[in-house]
Amino acid sequence: MANTCTPSGLALVERYYSDYGSRARELKEQGRRFIGYLCAYVPLEIISAAGFIPFRVKGNVHEPISAADAQMETIVCPMVRSYFDQTLKGAWDFIEGLVLPHSCDSMCITRDIWRTSLNLPYFHLLNVPHTISDNSREFFVDCLRTFRTSIERYAGRTISNEAIAAEIEKYNALRKAVRHLYGLRRGDEPRISGSATVRTLVAAMSLPVDEAIPMVESITIEGSKQGPAFRKGTPRVMIVSSEQDDDGLASIVEQCGGAVVSDFTCPGLREYGQDVETCADPLVGLAGRYLNLNCARTYRGGTGKQADDLEERFGVIGRLAADFRVRGVIIRVHRYCDPYGLEVPALRSYLANHGLAVLYIEDDYSIMDIGRLRTRIQAFIEVISGSPETGVNIA
Amino acid sequence: MVKDMLAAGQRAHEEGKLTAYTLIASAYDEIIRAMDIVPLWVENFAGICSAKRNAMPFLEKAESHYFSRSMCTYALCCLGFDALREESGGMPSNAPWGGLPRPDMMLGTGTMICDPRVKWFQAARQYMPDVPIHMTNVLWPAYQQNIDHREVQDYYIRFMVSELRDLVAFLEQRTGRKMDWDRLAGLVDLADRTWNLFWETHELRRAVPTPMGTGDAFNTMVPLAFMLGTQQALDFYTALNQELKNRINNRMASVPDEKYRLMWGGGLAPWFALSDFDYFAAKGASFPVEISYRLAEPLYNLNLPRTSDPIEHIAWRWFKYLTYWYDAARKRNGSYPEVERMIRYIDDYQIDGIVIHEAFSCRTWHPGLICQLNTLKKIYRDIPTLVLESDMVDIGSYNESETHQRIDSFIDILENEKSQTSGP
Repeated sequence: MANTCTPSGLALVERYYSDYGSRARELKEQGRRFIGYLCAYVPLEIISAAGFIPFRVKGNVHEPISAADAQMETIVCPMVRSYFDQTLKGAWDFIEGLVLPHSCDSMCITRDIWRTSLNLPYFHLLNVPHTISDNSREFFVDCLRTFRTSIERYAGRTISNEAIAAEIEKYNALRKAVRHLYGLRRGDEPRISGSATVRTLVAAMSLPVDEAIPMVESITIEGSKQGPAFRKGTPRVMIVSSEQDDDGLASIVEQCGGAVVSDFTCPGLREYGQDVETCADPLVGLAGRYLNLNCARTYRGGTGKQADDLEERFGVIGRLAADFRVRGVIIRVHRYCDPYGLEVPALRSYLANHGLAVLYIEDDYSIMDIGRLRTRIQAFIEVISGSPETGVNIA
Repeated sequence: MVKDMLAAGQRAHEEGKLTAYTLIASAYDEIIRAMDIVPLWVENFAGICSAKRNAMPFLEKAESHYFSRSMCTYALCCLGFDALREESGGMPSNAPWGGLPRPDMMLGTGTMICDPRVKWFQAARQYMPDVPIHMTNVLWPAYQQNIDHREVQDYYIRFMVSELRDLVAFLEQRTGRKMDWDRLAGLVDLADRTWNLFWETHELRRAVPTPMGTGDAFNTMVPLAFMLGTQQALDFYTALNQELKNRINNRMASVPDEKYRLMWGGGLAPWFALSDFDYFAAKGASFPVEISYRLAEPLYNLNLPRTSDPIEHIAWRWFKYLTYWYDAARKRNGSYPEVERMIRYIDDYQIDGIVIHEAFSCRTWHPGLICQLNTLKKIYRDIPTLVLESDMVDIGSYNESETHQRIDSFIDILENEKSQTSGP
């Protein structure tokens, strides 16, 4: 007999997180079409307005990279290599196209490897300038226009401004829903764990926006009704990272007695913290929002005073740390990541100056590697256990 | 020449002239020369440290400041050097060739390659918080199958022109004087002639036996890469051109008994191990051509639009250079620009085999080299290839004995190929 019960948000998250891509596979069988993409810099609104469902390509920290090694150099970011490895092995064989943004070298420079190895019917490299100046914004609008033309040619249909505006509204609703979810983590007794949040956001990356919104909203409602995920006084931790598409690190922190209450990651508050503004030309709104993502690949500040420079780069992290009353910050950088790696000393110093304990870890995007860090994480949690919330420098 | 260039930076610093940390292939060479800014080429300095096998203390210093050793070692070397220089309040005693002086500004560039060029100077600013940074985007369109680069060229040029004008405004503000546009136009013309002559000089290397190998080309690229827009650079290639012609006329070869002609198919040079070219030479292998550092195409092949604005001219020159191989790629199924360039060089220079160098710390040039070789073999022809692995700066990544063994095996393959081609 068919189960007529609507699955809970939690059940959906567990299903789509543990079997990432399963919903896309179901929808593909129903005739829906998917375009894959990497990273937070691809405007999903344009893909959706073209009639495709955007699907975020991810890696697998549990599976050693094998197929990718014959084609992609091992000096590439291990996360991107794992993305490629999974794609090459057919994990996302329902996608008919791929959009790579020029976000970092590991994505941009490998574009020909993706293009020639996968030989998908559609491929586009979206250029993204490295600054957020007026020049760059104007240029990025043109890049988005080119992307729209490119996907229109593939889809064989034009994309109206109205269609893009409608999609912007939906994705803004998802962003708002995610921010509400984070609201559950502000209190003395956070209602949802960091690891559960990661699983929710990762599951959402694999869904059509129309399904992701109610799932996230369900999680928020369920979380607000259930007991606390952590007791009052549990050391509050924030994770700062580039992409984080696995709950491994948050889980270990929580197993070691910490409460991951906030983050500055993708997916996470870096990605969901800002809406697209409504503009007469929707591409202008999209350009403003996507270009302004506070990722290390983009240059901010520099000509003024060093203190202003640091505030522009890291101020948002400091504000989130204060807002979520964290005691310690874990900076996680994947090996071979130049943009984030070059930030580490300045970020460590900035956070320490704001009274936060800091743990910097570099990993290989594998669960084995993350597991090896357990002892350091445990020591870090012990250190911050004895300290009050933000305001005292224990770094 | 490199030593003199570094000394000029040191002298300028002592005399109170404005200096800037600068990056290779940033499209701003003539602009900074026209504004009398003395460039301090940071990548070049890291290369010097490497070639003199003196980079390790600087890499270790950077690592002690939480910079991961997996990152770009050009950046790490200079960051470690900056840290030591600023901590000691003077030039570190182990600084090669007098060291890199403290700059008055740092000119970063955001391009389609090389993340460190975007972040490096901000990292350096920890040690020099009073030194301002200016960032210039120099972007070009990626090769796309369903978008021709000519469809987007207007907005790319508009963007590059705006960015370069912003740089001029920044320099005017720092120097307190206005750009001399006539002088800039003169330097741009000088740079054009240098580009052409550089290319024509390298084309002479097609001769059999080749008169100059890649080992020398990695040195003679210095005037193009670091002295563009100077009379000295043009004079250098004038002399080199004549010298190569003389060598060809007198059959003076780079490798006296040239048996195999190889292409350096990509990758930064392992500056601490340039003597490996001697090892190749001892086996009869010459390098008439290389992909790395061949930073010019002749302007008469680029079909540049006429403009009286030197900034626009610079923008067009770079755009056309960076998209030069796109049309060729469109004509061959399965190809792409980097592969087309290899094919042309293989044909033009009668290449028997390809050597690439994978530098572990650089994601700018190296990812994709294996794919290029695979594609080349698929769409053109099978050709012997050798992949060397180490780094451009970190000598700890280099194993001479293993490298020589790989070269020996590669030579065996080339020999086998030759004997099969020539028959019994």
